[in-house]
Amino acid sequence: MEWKICPRGQDGFEVVALEGDCDLYSAPAFAKAMLSRIAEAPRRIRFDLSLVEYLDSTGVGAIIRILQEARRRGCELRFAGLGGSPRKVLKMSNILALMQEEGPA
Amino acid sequence: MNQLIVRQLIVDERNQLFDAQGMRFAEFPSDFSRVREFTALVLADCPEQFKEGNLLEQQLSEIIKNGIKHGNHNDPRKKLRVWYDLRKRARFIVEDEGRGFDVLDDWNEFYRKRQTALFEEDFDAFLALASYRGPDSDEEDGGNSLIAALEYWNGGTIFNDRKNKIGVVRWFAHGSS
Repeated sequence: MEWKICPRGQDGFEVVALEGDCDLYSAPAFAKAMLSRIAEAPRRIRFDLSLVEYLDSTGVGAIIRILQEARRRGCELRFAGLGGSPRKVLKMSNILALMQEEGPA
Repeated sequence: MNQLIVRQLIVDERNQLFDAQGMRFAEFPSDFSRVREFTALVLADCPEQFKEGNLLEQQLSEIIKNGIKHGNHNDPRKKLRVWYDLRKRARFIVEDEGRGFDVLDDWNEFYRKRQTALFEEDFDAFLALASYRGPDSDEEDGGNSLIAALEYWNGGTIFNDRKNKIGVVRWFAHGSS
């Protein structure tokens, strides 16, 4: 999985666009990068997951750690483009209720 | 209206989910880097209608990962055995050579508290409980695979007495022949 960070838009959110499988091999590096980004400064981040087709429990674990850190640091997170099996996995893991979800832009 | 739903992992050595008669069999080395490859091999002939996008692949992959990582501790000398039957429903038995999931009762209690926090809309407590941490957990584990498994495997998620073997089944509205 790769991710690209786009500069803040007019709404003050920077966009992190993910592409590929967020799985047991790629999710740990993604979590590490995002946790360190959140620790740098309070931010508003919109995660665009529209190009993520596969999400497993390690990916869910990464999202939980990011949510926990964001709450500790006062960061605001939003999640866009969730669909297909990644959304079902988050729902079955009962994490979706904690995520501020947005529809397509 | 929200409902408090608390499922449980169950130990039942004699459960019919452990009857491997007529099931196909595969054995894999404990190679963490090949978890998804092993999953794809097992599902090579899977009927399309069972796949539900990649949901079946993802759920089976979690069981294989747990066996290799937590059961066999990635020890290449230890094998992971998979019995599978993809006729009419998706049924699997997965056995590792580890000491077993001996924190099963702790996990059930963690899950009960987590579901209760969600039901009470205590999101701070829920977030604090969002990930299970057992003696073999690392920061990448969340216990989330078992939470989703309890919902996904709608015909049961059963452990044997030693807790190193799991039997699961998912039924579909429109089965295959």
